[in-house]
Amino acid sequence: MSRSRTTGIDLAARWLFIGLLILYTIYNLGPIFWLLISSFKSRMDLFTMPPKIFFTPDLSGYESVFGVGSAKDSASAFGVFESLVNSVIVSTVGTALAVFLGTLAGYVCSRFNFSGKGDFMFFVLSTRMLPPVAVLVFYHLMFAELGLADTRFGLILVAIFANIGLATWIMKGFFDGVPQEVEQIAIVNGYTRMYAFLHLVLPMVKGGIAATAGFCFIFAWNEFAFASILTTTKAKTLPVKISAASGATGIEWTQICAAGVVLIIPVLIFFYLIRKHLLMGMTFGVLGRR
Amino acid sequence: MTQIDASNRKRSSGRLMILGFLSPSLAILLFMVAYPIFSLVYYSFFNFSALRPAAGMKPVGLGNYEFLLGDPELWERFVFTGEFVALCVSAQMLIGIFIGYQLQKNFRGRDLLFTALMLPMMMSPVVVGFLWRYMFNSEWGVINYLLTVIGLGKVDWLGQTTAALFAAAAADTWMWTPFIVLLATAAFRGIPETIYEAAEVDGASPAYTFFRITLPMSAPVLFIALILRLIDSFKQYDLFFALTGGGPGSSTETVSFAVAKTAFSYFYTGEASALAVVLLVIIIGLSMILVRHLNKMGERY
Amino acid sequence: MAEIKLKNLNIEFGSFKAVDNVDLIVKDGEFVVYLGPSGCGKTTTLRSIAGLVKATSGDILFDGKRVNDLSASERNIAMVFQFVSLYPHLKIRQNIVFPLKARGVAKAEIARKLDWVTEVFKLGDDLDRYPGALPPGARQKVALARAVIRDPAVLLLDEPLSAIDEQFREEMRWELGHLQRQLGVTTIYVTHDQREAMSLADRIVLMSDGRIVQVGEADQIFYNPVNMFAGQFIGSPSMNLIDLRPAEGGLTLGASGVHLSPERDGLPVWAMNSRRPLKLGIRPLNVELVDDDHQGPSLDIAVDDVFSVGRERFFTFHLGDQIHQGVDKRKTVGSTGRVRFAPEGFLFFDTETGRRAAPEVSA
Repeated sequence: MSRSRTTGIDLAARWLFIGLLILYTIYNLGPIFWLLISSFKSRMDLFTMPPKIFFTPDLSGYESVFGVGSAKDSASAFGVFESLVNSVIVSTVGTALAVFLGTLAGYVCSRFNFSGKGDFMFFVLSTRMLPPVAVLVFYHLMFAELGLADTRFGLILVAIFANIGLATWIMKGFFDGVPQEVEQIAIVNGYTRMYAFLHLVLPMVKGGIAATAGFCFIFAWNEFAFASILTTTKAKTLPVKISAASGATGIEWTQICAAGVVLIIPVLIFFYLIRKHLLMGMTFGVLGRR
Repeated sequence: MTQIDASNRKRSSGRLMILGFLSPSLAILLFMVAYPIFSLVYYSFFNFSALRPAAGMKPVGLGNYEFLLGDPELWERFVFTGEFVALCVSAQMLIGIFIGYQLQKNFRGRDLLFTALMLPMMMSPVVVGFLWRYMFNSEWGVINYLLTVIGLGKVDWLGQTTAALFAAAAADTWMWTPFIVLLATAAFRGIPETIYEAAEVDGASPAYTFFRITLPMSAPVLFIALILRLIDSFKQYDLFFALTGGGPGSSTETVSFAVAKTAFSYFYTGEASALAVVLLVIIIGLSMILVRHLNKMGERY
Repeated sequence: MAEIKLKNLNIEFGSFKAVDNVDLIVKDGEFVVYLGPSGCGKTTTLRSIAGLVKATSGDILFDGKRVNDLSASERNIAMVFQFVSLYPHLKIRQNIVFPLKARGVAKAEIARKLDWVTEVFKLGDDLDRYPGALPPGARQKVALARAVIRDPAVLLLDEPLSAIDEQFREEMRWELGHLQRQLGVTTIYVTHDQREAMSLADRIVLMSDGRIVQVGEADQIFYNPVNMFAGQFIGSPSMNLIDLRPAEGGLTLGASGVHLSPERDGLPVWAMNSRRPLKLGIRPLNVELVDDDHQGPSLDIAVDDVFSVGRERFFTFHLGDQIHQGVDKRKTVGSTGRVRFAPEGFLFFDTETGRRAAPEVSA
């Protein structure tokens, strides 16, 4: 409600707050803007001082990322296409499986009380909390032993592992939002619980499944630590490939900026999909349920 | 007979459902979490290198842990990690709560601005690391350029330990403040309007209301945000890999970074396992606090 | 303590007029109840007095001083809200002293005041509990304690009892009235419950569609409503309104053909001769169902149904397609009876304007 009187101090504070908000917005969005325009700069423009805001757009960064145009067949070609394919396959398959398993587990955790449920919930969320490098010490050995090192299949396993906790908790949150009566009425009318789950409850959480998938995809797509240690050549994902651009000849900034933008584009698309469920996704389905 | 049968069948079908729905997840968890962690603990009692498995595993008891305790370099890792966590988490909480409070108010374009501000936390940490490394370049980086514009000198951001610490904190704060903003805004918006009206009638100034009403009432949600940030920043690896590479020297190596280096550069697998176990214990402790609070919130909402 | 004066008060939300040109004086120490259906502007008026809503135009005066531009915290008012507004993270003790602490009152003074309200409201056992541990009624009691602890000039109450169980509400209502008389604080109370209004108010302000319909003591409004709305809103069961049609030597009740004559039924002559169409307003307690052998005039009306509310027995009948109510006064409950309209209960309203039609309204 509007306050009846605005004193000078109130007014000064208000402008100060607005100023700080604008400053933060610049801090927040500036780097993304800078990344975007830098990706269109030529190598010359990239290093000029003072930095140019207006310049002739140059696609050499993107050409070298995709290995086309002037960068085709050249030694400096980045050739990112293969790792792009790896990223897409690993992220989509991993996401699909994590969401599938998370939906099943989330439903059971939402609807049933069973002994060890709390432990299971903690166990499954620990996948989100564990420091990747800690488990990697052993994964490194295990993957080599099982022939999973540097394979997409191995990375898909990791993507499931890394997202199953998130998927279970978010889906539990969405299932908690569906009243128990939905199944109870179906069961009273002679349907099985399985039927109620498949034909009544699942359609009600379609949006939730999509949002969960969006979150899992973004995290799988951005994943770096596991992929960087468990791949060497053929299964490299895009983030790993980008980090490899800091090679012996110094860092290829044009390529890195362009590759960074390429990496962000799918994230933007999925971010748009999940924007309404952001709170829920980031708090494991505990807050912001609707 | 039908009644007893029916209830039996229902109960067993419920149990069947629990079993059927959980076992695939459980299998993955056992294979990908339990087994590796037990193995880690096991390896931590051996002198063993993944590079020379043929050399075998020599049991050393608590030798690896004793070695770690006595390693001054490792203490430096912990101190640096602690400094980094303290710096960036407090910055994120302060800025996040402030911005969250501003964005709690309704104004034109609020939703659009809010969504746009959430972007950084959706980006890949590696890209974030390289992006800030690019901007922090001491000669042609845009940050030093801006510093000279406002009349300050250039800083060798990534070439000095302290400056690199602040640079890393700035990058992490950039990426994760939106997360605090997200939770803080939700917490603030969850406080009913009547409470504010009551406070105004009671004669509380806006500042008094903020510190005595708004903040304490949002504390449970902000606490979750805090713990999550503590966990994530404590295990931070990707950002340092891309931003500083651990340098200058090894002065900006976090504990995670040290684990990776010990395991995959030096291949002291036994020692790395012991260090990983230490890291795990800390993270699991924090996670247990978090999960307890998450469950409490789950009941409340 | 203060006298409140509203002068040409207008409050608009966009094109919606929530409060339409309201004038009112609340005397120092008076207990005034704003009564009306939801959306009539009573809460908005209260909130503008509190300083939570800005008046679009007009003046709000406390003891002759214009307070429009003062914020809520500067007006020295206290308020109890409809829905519980205790601070959930503070103990009862901290909740009660919050207004004093927020104003930086000295510790000793706070302690003294706390002892006083604890005594008055008998809150001793609850001081160290949190609001969530108390039932809604007790919470509102705490809210009231928080409101009065700093001796406000004006106490504003926005439907404070509506979220409380019926049983506890009675008790709270009584305590509230008692407390107000004890403190002598100028009080404005908003409610849509006429029973609350009638039992608490020194004066009732009846509102509808943003305007004041009638101001007066409960009896005054009950026996002398200025229009159909006032007549129908106050009194339970609600007043019967019956169309009157001109007829030879009297009036007929609606389409029923039942005849009302001056000689037999006490119909005033001016009403019979009125050139404007009238409605008869008569409260159910003035419509009596009597035994067949009743001496004196009665009407030939079919009884639909008989039902009891507490010790009272009511009956329903219809005239045309309108259903009306009356009191069943028969000694024995049978299937037959006759209906008597008590002429002292006759109220006449102008059908078109809704206003009281009478040779003199102040009768």
